[in-house]
Amino acid sequence: MNELSGLSRLRFLPAFLWAVALIALWEIASWLLLEVLQVPMAQSKLPYIHEIVSTFGQYGNTLANEGWVTLTNAALGFALGAAAGASLAVLMSASKWMERLAFPYAVASQMVPILGLAPIVYGIVRDEQAARIIIAAYITFFPVSLNMLRGLRSAHPYALELMHSYAAKPWTIYWKLRFPASLPGLFSGLKIAAPLAVTGAILVELMGAQHGIGVIMLRNLYYGPSHTYMFWSTVIVGALLGVLSYLIIGWIERLAAPWQPEFRSKGGGR
Amino acid sequence: MTESTAALVPEIELEQISMQYPAAFSDVLALQDVSLSIAKGEFVSLLGPSGCGKTTLLRIMADLIQPTGGRIEVAGKSAKEARLAQRYGIVFQNPVLYDWRKVKQNITLPLELKGVKKSEREARAMELLELVGLQKFADQYPWQLSGGMQQRVAIARALAMEPEILLMDEPFSALDEFSRERLNEELLSIWSKVGNTIVFVTHNISEAVFLSDRVFVLSPHPGRLSAVAEISLPRPRTKEMRNSEAFFRLIAQIRDSFEGV
Ligand SMILES: Nc1ncnc2c1ncn2[C@@H]1O[C@H](COP(=O)(O)OP(=O)(O)OP(=O)(O)O)[C@@H](O)[C@H]1O
Ligand SMILES: [Mg+2]
Repeated sequence: MNELSGLSRLRFLPAFLWAVALIALWEIASWLLLEVLQVPMAQSKLPYIHEIVSTFGQYGNTLANEGWVTLTNAALGFALGAAAGASLAVLMSASKWMERLAFPYAVASQMVPILGLAPIVYGIVRDEQAARIIIAAYITFFPVSLNMLRGLRSAHPYALELMHSYAAKPWTIYWKLRFPASLPGLFSGLKIAAPLAVTGAILVELMGAQHGIGVIMLRNLYYGPSHTYMFWSTVIVGALLGVLSYLIIGWIERLAAPWQPEFRSKGGGR
Repeated sequence: MTESTAALVPEIELEQISMQYPAAFSDVLALQDVSLSIAKGEFVSLLGPSGCGKTTLLRIMADLIQPTGGRIEVAGKSAKEARLAQRYGIVFQNPVLYDWRKVKQNITLPLELKGVKKSEREARAMELLELVGLQKFADQYPWQLSGGMQQRVAIARALAMEPEILLMDEPFSALDEFSRERLNEELLSIWSKVGNTIVFVTHNISEAVFLSDRVFVLSPHPGRLSAVAEISLPRPRTKEMRNSEAFFRLIAQIRDSFEGV
């Protein structure tokens, strides 16, 4: 046991050293810009990390509350988009006709710049919450649909033959074979989409909203240099939300599809 | 065909079966004019070198591919009807296990499709796992097993629903000699209990002789039926018969039929 924890501590040691070195380097560079080179607006460009950390301490509550609003809206949109994307993938996998009909539009939808779409959606629904959810769903939809479709098609021909030999009904084949086989694809789609959904929600908030991390991000940007540390804090919260969403999906994947090759213990098996 | 088997009810009848794969570059046929009849409850082997069309023939019987020529009947009906009536159990040349199912759940798959109760399914799976010597691995994933063990799981799965027609494509070729001989004997004892029809593909002459009532010898390029050997060894077959004069004579006879090709 001791030996094990010692080993795992060793495993994280390089990462830890890297982080420390990076922070030190950052602080030094920040100091150089501000005090030695006296670059104008030096702190907006490369703020002191210890100042940001202290801002976090001071405004932690606000950051957490606004971040939570963004995250829940993004999550709701993400869930809707994922459900729609997965459903379309099922339809497309079931019929070539459906695929030919829907696929070009699905691709074309990705050509529309979100930056332009967000104000249009907001103008139509006139509700920041709804707009955020719609944009998050819109962004999620495509990567989930595409990856899920590939997953559904990935069932091995032999595995399908086995089902045919049992005279399994199409629905049974989906339930017992195609869906489980599609899980790796579905999850890679979800992992791409989750951080994007957060970004999308923040984007809508930048267009004018009452709540959300994007709102305070914009506000502190307007206030100028005096609010630099708060602005940076909001950016970091935004990034953390993206990472968090990714990690949550990864964690769910481990529970839902633990049999995948990437989760297999090394050295054992064949 | 000999008189003794012709008198029995035919279960699988092939007439002038030919198979040309669409992707084939040359005009060599995978199968050419194969005609044979397998009686209900008979144990037959398809024996031949690699590439002679054994798997192709088995897949035609299973209605997984359609022959490009000829006719097939299973119990007087089409092969498709037999498949839809769930009369087949198949052991493929590869194990074909589902990665997301543990060993036990792989075996219960056909029972789930048939709507067997959960408790019954699990009990049956454990019985079969014991038969193939894998009861300790019930809750492992397939990739945690060796190739031979995976193949044994596939065999257990095919036996799970006691199919009327059991099609086996080199089921024991990934096993060591000891397991192979033991499972040969187990297979015969199951067969004598269930009374199903078994078509067994192998390229091992002594295995074919030990198991079968008749051995169909196939030759390659194009795949043809080149000989039929009647195995007159009495039933039940025992370990001792493997060392008998008659056994060796039959092996030699079949080997000669290869050299005639
Ligand atoms: N799907 C396919 N497409 C094209 N040709 C095929 C296909 N399957 C088999 N063949 C060809 O048909 C011939 C017979 O193949 P088959 O798999 O039936 O042989 P086999 O007797 O089972 O051989 P083995 O003992 O190696 O399994 C081979 O020449 C092979 O190249
Ligand atoms: Mg083969």
